[in-house]
Amino acid sequence: MRRLIFPALAVWFAAAVFAHAQSLDDLNMQIHGYATQGFLYTTNNNIFTTNSSNGSPAWTEAVMNVTAQPQPKLRVGVQARYFLLGNFGNAITLDWAEADYKVNDKFGVRFGKVKIPTGLFNEIQDIDPAYMWALLPQSIYPITSRNSVLAEYGGLVYGTLALGKSAGKIEYRGWSGEIVVGPNDGYWVTMKEQGIALTNGLHTPETGVTLHWITPAPGLMIGASYARLSQSNSPFTDTYVVPTQGITITTPGTMVLNVPNWPDYFVRWEKDRVMAAGEYERSAGNVVMSGLSPLPQNIDTRSWYLMTSYRFTDKLIAGVYVTQDFNHQAALGPSRYFKDWVVSSRYDFNQYLYMKAEEHFIEGTAVGYDIDLNTGGLQPSTKMTILKLGVSF
Amino acid sequence: MKKLFWTMLFALVASLFAVRAQAQALVIANPGVKAGAVSKSQLRDIFTGGSTSLDGAAVTPVLLKQGAVTNEFLAAYIGKNDTAFRAGWRSLVFSGQASMPRSLDNDAAVVDYVAHNAGAIGYIGKSSPHEGVKVLVVK
Repeated sequence: MRRLIFPALAVWFAAAVFAHAQSLDDLNMQIHGYATQGFLYTTNNNIFTTNSSNGSPAWTEAVMNVTAQPQPKLRVGVQARYFLLGNFGNAITLDWAEADYKVNDKFGVRFGKVKIPTGLFNEIQDIDPAYMWALLPQSIYPITSRNSVLAEYGGLVYGTLALGKSAGKIEYRGWSGEIVVGPNDGYWVTMKEQGIALTNGLHTPETGVTLHWITPAPGLMIGASYARLSQSNSPFTDTYVVPTQGITITTPGTMVLNVPNWPDYFVRWEKDRVMAAGEYERSAGNVVMSGLSPLPQNIDTRSWYLMTSYRFTDKLIAGVYVTQDFNHQAALGPSRYFKDWVVSSRYDFNQYLYMKAEEHFIEGTAVGYDIDLNTGGLQPSTKMTILKLGVSF
Repeated sequence: MKKLFWTMLFALVASLFAVRAQAQALVIANPGVKAGAVSKSQLRDIFTGGSTSLDGAAVTPVLLKQGAVTNEFLAAYIGKNDTAFRAGWRSLVFSGQASMPRSLDNDAAVVDYVAHNAGAIGYIGKSSPHEGVKVLVVK
């Protein structure tokens, strides 16, 4: 229900404000957008449900938003996204739809469908023009789903508190709402390939807080975020075809997801042309597919990355990162981990058009692979080349 | 020795340009803005979306279109080049955290806008006429 209430409130709020505006100019309306086209090539496995081992251009995104700021403290807006990556997406969805009232620098409130500000990149992980990498560290920012797990239906409070000249300042964000991952979301592609379809998708309440300490040391920010998810119960059907007899067996069940705590720690340092950052996240809990198995499948994933970049010229920036994802509860073997060394560069032709080139050296198979496009089994290591062209306005 | 001489000469010329860059952009505000001076860190916060106030009063940044004055202002006071600066604003705009600041074509348009809009703060070339606005000293 909250899923409907919060965006409806944001729309009502926006309509009330628009009705009071004397002219379109009073509304300070803006329209912005961007589009990207990516190309993937892998030496071994097919990744992200694409035919990447043959070279795949199946990676397209287009985003457009409309915002209005009828009063200095009030802003309303909506953003839609078209996302295609292999078999993920291929649909237009709602990124965010919100009303934002900023009382002052110390306190503001945002409600509707709003972005979740965990970690260093979650708020902007789907905003390609905002950073140099073609693909963010997949251990923490998987690209399998775009807006469903990046935003929540609910509210968020935010602000900046000065700690004095010698102590810097604290930026805080606190949020509460419901995450909704629809039944056709890319998140479930690998489950669907195994015959398991969630009837209504996943609905789970989430509450969290993020703190950024802008330290007195120039360019240094240290942060932490903590998200708490309530247990969710999602009905599903498991469809199994008996190969020799051609009989289809359908079994109903419930997926009980219990990953209650989601701590995340991060640091970033920027000075002149150099940037360095790191992040660590742990998610632990279990999932029970009741109806299929009475035993819970335990999860204890620890993920991290370290990255650095250097701006060579106004138009050219390059960098490297290393990232790892390790599930301590998984069976031994390459499917237990994912490790990726990445070399990346971005060239901005002008303020609208840019290009990215990136090379990945991947070990392990825990992230990014599906079954249907890797019928011969997965190789433990893969190299991946990414080229991406983007335009924004 | 010759190499060292040319290196030093280059460094000297570069530093002269750096000083020149700092002096080229003039920071202006609507006369209603109470502050008479602004620190570099305050300017950085205001022009990167980190803050919407100056000494407790609401302010709104206004940009000049790409060009020499913008590049000099960004280099001297914000510590970013134009590409990084706009990437930062895109992060805010596409994640629903802010609206893009108004971007005007020339110094005269910036002066006119700042003069007629409460809380507006912008920058222009040092030699441009700036009647009707307040010049802020950058501390």
